[in-house]
Amino acid sequence: MSRELVSANHAAAMAAVLAARANRSGRGFGSGVYPITPQTECIELLCEEEIEKGQVVRVESEHSAMAVCIGFSLGGARTFTASSSNGLAYMAENVFNAAFYRLPVVMMAVNRTLGPPWNIWVDHGDTLMLRDAGWVQLYCEDNQEVADTILAAYRLGEDPRILLPVMVCQDAFILSHTMMLTDFPEQPEVDAFLPPLELPHRLTDRPRVVGGLDFPRETEVHRIQHANAMALVPEVYREVQATFRSRFGRALADPVVPYRVEDAEMLLVSMGTTASTVRTVVDRARERGIRAGALRLRMFRPFPEEALRGYLAGRARVGVLDRNLCPGLGGIVWAELRGVAPPGCLVQGYVLGMGGGDIRPEHVERVLQDLTSRQRAGEPSFVEVGS
Amino acid sequence: MSQARDTQASERAAMEIRLHGRGGQGGVTCAKLLAAVYARLGKAVQTFGDYAGERSGAPIRAYTRVSDSPISNRNKLYQPDHLVVLDPTLLGPEVVSGLAEGGTLLLNTPLSPEAMAAQFGRFRLATVDATAIARKHGIGTRSVVIVNTTLAGAFARALDLPLEVLEAAYRELGFESNVPAAREAYSALRVREAPAGGGRLPRPAVLPGLPAVLPLSEHKEGPPTGLKTGSWRTQAPFYLRNPAPCSVRCPAGNDVVGFVQALARSGEAAAAEVLGRTTPLSAVCGRVCPAPCMEGCNRRELDGAVNVRGLERWIAERVPVAVRAAPAHPSPRRIAIVGGGPAGLSAAYVLATAGHRPIIFEAERELGGVLRTGIPTYRLSRAALDGEIDSILRLGVEVRSGQKVDRARIPELARAHDALLIATGLQRLRRVDGPGEALSGVEQGIHFLRRINLGEKARLSGAVVVLGGGNTAMDCARSALRAGAAKVTVVYRRTRAEMPAIAEEIDQAVEEGVELVFLRQPLGFAGAGKLEAVELAEVELGPPDASGRRRPVTTDRKTSLGCDLALLALGQSADASLLPAGWKLEAGRAHADGRPLNVFAAGDFSTGEGTVAHAIGDGRRAAQRALAALGLEAEVWAPPDAPKAVRPQDVRMGHFEGRPPAHEPTAPAAERVHNFEEVGRGLRDGAEARRCFSCGDCTSCDTCLVYCPEGIIRRKGTAYEVDLAFCKGCGICVAECPRKAMEMRAS
Repeated sequence: MSRELVSANHAAAMAAVLAARANRSGRGFGSGVYPITPQTECIELLCEEEIEKGQVVRVESEHSAMAVCIGFSLGGARTFTASSSNGLAYMAENVFNAAFYRLPVVMMAVNRTLGPPWNIWVDHGDTLMLRDAGWVQLYCEDNQEVADTILAAYRLGEDPRILLPVMVCQDAFILSHTMMLTDFPEQPEVDAFLPPLELPHRLTDRPRVVGGLDFPRETEVHRIQHANAMALVPEVYREVQATFRSRFGRALADPVVPYRVEDAEMLLVSMGTTASTVRTVVDRARERGIRAGALRLRMFRPFPEEALRGYLAGRARVGVLDRNLCPGLGGIVWAELRGVAPPGCLVQGYVLGMGGGDIRPEHVERVLQDLTSRQRAGEPSFVEVGS
Repeated sequence: MSQARDTQASERAAMEIRLHGRGGQGGVTCAKLLAAVYARLGKAVQTFGDYAGERSGAPIRAYTRVSDSPISNRNKLYQPDHLVVLDPTLLGPEVVSGLAEGGTLLLNTPLSPEAMAAQFGRFRLATVDATAIARKHGIGTRSVVIVNTTLAGAFARALDLPLEVLEAAYRELGFESNVPAAREAYSALRVREAPAGGGRLPRPAVLPGLPAVLPLSEHKEGPPTGLKTGSWRTQAPFYLRNPAPCSVRCPAGNDVVGFVQALARSGEAAAAEVLGRTTPLSAVCGRVCPAPCMEGCNRRELDGAVNVRGLERWIAERVPVAVRAAPAHPSPRRIAIVGGGPAGLSAAYVLATAGHRPIIFEAERELGGVLRTGIPTYRLSRAALDGEIDSILRLGVEVRSGQKVDRARIPELARAHDALLIATGLQRLRRVDGPGEALSGVEQGIHFLRRINLGEKARLSGAVVVLGGGNTAMDCARSALRAGAAKVTVVYRRTRAEMPAIAEEIDQAVEEGVELVFLRQPLGFAGAGKLEAVELAEVELGPPDASGRRRPVTTDRKTSLGCDLALLALGQSADASLLPAGWKLEAGRAHADGRPLNVFAAGDFSTGEGTVAHAIGDGRRAAQRALAALGLEAEVWAPPDAPKAVRPQDVRMGHFEGRPPAHEPTAPAAERVHNFEEVGRGLRDGAEARRCFSCGDCTSCDTCLVYCPEGIIRRKGTAYEVDLAFCKGCGICVAECPRKAMEMRAS
């Protein structure tokens, strides 16, 4: 193991390179990349690395970057790319294609606010825009988790029961450009964790058509198969967690990460780095005798319904902190979570930190105050954060 | 399911450092360095930058958190324990906001902590002039000084961090070369402790109010120019002329880049005007100069040196260069010049154009010296030589030809004139000093060339051996071929790589059929009454000598080379016996009994350098020395410093398109070997001048204007104007200048 002081952008690239090299005894590694702030450092590092049986193709757009990954993956190679914000929007058509071809592409997405007007800082609207694209989506909270989740994403997505692409999401700048000490396993450990990819439908020297015309019956079945694979993800993820722990000696976080929930009357639910600040506020509330707890939603697709139902059971109030906005609906996490809350539970949505505002404990205190004083749930509430 | 970082959000024992700098100063890297130091001390660390899209020059912040327990706080730093300010112009209430009283305020400034105390005395003040230290150690980009690594050294001292841990962190991050600067800052830091009783201000619980924002459907007032980014600047771009390597290396002192650029921009008349400032012999140098300018040409690194020699000939063939007539001096002086070779002619040119009366005493019937007697006509057409000499004489130069001046006549000439210049060249010829040197058939090459060049009958046959490896050897060999020799062999004691002759001359000699034999040292000559063979010893190359070339070591193995004529081209030196007894040369001026005389040595007689270009340069210097000695206030030219010239790494090669050099067409070898007609036919056109990078000299190429991220550089004629109200001092214009005609200076 080595410990390095690196940004989460570099942590992602370093983990991807370990995974890439692990497939050298298989069909190698291929990647299509196109830069965008705040993801650029990640692919710059990827381009600098020499990878045996590996090729990184610098293309002219995000759309082509994913197309290159699709090609490599169909050929049986392990693949990786990274993008962000409007880059993801431009890539979108091929994001769907990768999933519908059932290819275990891994993409690191840095969450950045969609423009215009232009903004380079974090919110989750960009990857949530792709929540229906058929990918597994995992959201990280710190640098170590970014590196670990990239490695786990390959093990998960390449599982023959799953065969789905995985998006590993991290907050712009708060993670992407922040340097922290991060542990990386040695190559032989990664080799053992990630056996060579065997894509059952990879292209061979026998020509055939991929992705031609599906008639209604075929599409219907393919979609049902896609849904079934998604449904299996939580179970396979648990297996990946166990293997990860035994191989690398540290835990891989759950799809839903609880904090001081045992006797909590109310829960604050968030994604990404907001959860760090929420924990500070939960601690302060506990000091004041308020029985607050927190959930961090790490897996957004598939939506971890079972785990959430378990944590929400018996709670009186749930506040959902969304760092995104679906205009006309509200926060997307709130909208989805409403459906799994038990009857009688007050679920209130809060939208805050869009455009990268620094969500401080004081802002979350406001959320908690509103949640405790509320008689019933209402329209989503905006908490303005500023810079 | 419970995990360390998810079960307890501990911020105990945390220390927070905030850095303020400008985009491009390396604040983020500085914060990272500090984090790396604390990581090595076993702490948990977190470090990140805080900036928007303004890039270079914009105020930025960077943060480092240090803790004994895992860090999960991801907020920016509002209440730092310590503050580092990379740029003193940023200092203000906003920068120090939140800093605890008694907290360390580390400033990059030449000022003392006491000088800052009136404003910031409630903090622990630490100051160091990191900019001066970083500049001294050459830390930065092509254009701007970067202070981050230097300042981190000062921080280590301020916080009492072990220097060896700091150095280890530098090594880890690849900044090892910056360690000396950090060390210097470490010891140069000055600290003023905070007054006792200071404490952390209470953390403000109230969040700041938020500004109103206009809806997008309303026009936003104020164009982007409302932000006067010039206030961010600490350095500003300046346009200047840096010396080009070609000009610096020219022994004649020609403004090489100047004449080539004049040709490219304004044509041959302008180019001739530039050349005429320093040389009257461009048609000559354009043919026979070894062209050190081309050896120094930065374009060699891209696709081959600019053919400067070819261009000089091309200009001189179209516009006479030596036409700088000047009004007569109010009290013109009579100055005698002994020797009408290139040094004498150059001196006469300087004196005549200054309105004085030079008188040349020449031993031969015609002027030119070695240009006429030594250099064969196939290299230098006599029409070209005569043309330039005529131009010089027309400026008002008297000539006494056919008068060999000996030692006895020197004092007399000195007395009869206001000053005397001795420019007799290299008259002493080196010999083999071996048996048989007096045999018929052994001849000094210089004498042979004189016979040929002055048209005396010199019809050869049989085998000729030339001893030596310089230009005289090549001239002898190729002249011998043209005079009818059946076979010509050049014998040199080292190898081709060490031959002093111009490379093209060697190539052309080989093309014409001259054979080269290396690693042979002549011992003597054999023959009964008449030369039959040259006796040679085999040579091995030993360790390098003072000139850097490997020293030839003679072995006992002997060989013999049969021939009918042996030509000695072993080198020449000045004949010092020309000076009267008791006279001594000091810095080019003759002295008798320790007193200076108005007698000056010029050209090869003085320097022994042995090229036309050196002779021209030193001839000019001698003339200027004479005028200075006569109180005529002439400026004496001195060769400039080579190290200051623009280097290849200073040139942005990427801004230039590759185009190979233009070569002069030459007569075919089989044809030219039968006559003495000029081999080089001159360049077809002057387009080669456009290959010149114009090192150090602005060409108004607009690269600075195009690359300026603020768009605030404007053309003003052929020059530029930088709008300092908006110039951030980012240095991009300077970094992108293709030719180093700009630099950043403190503003």
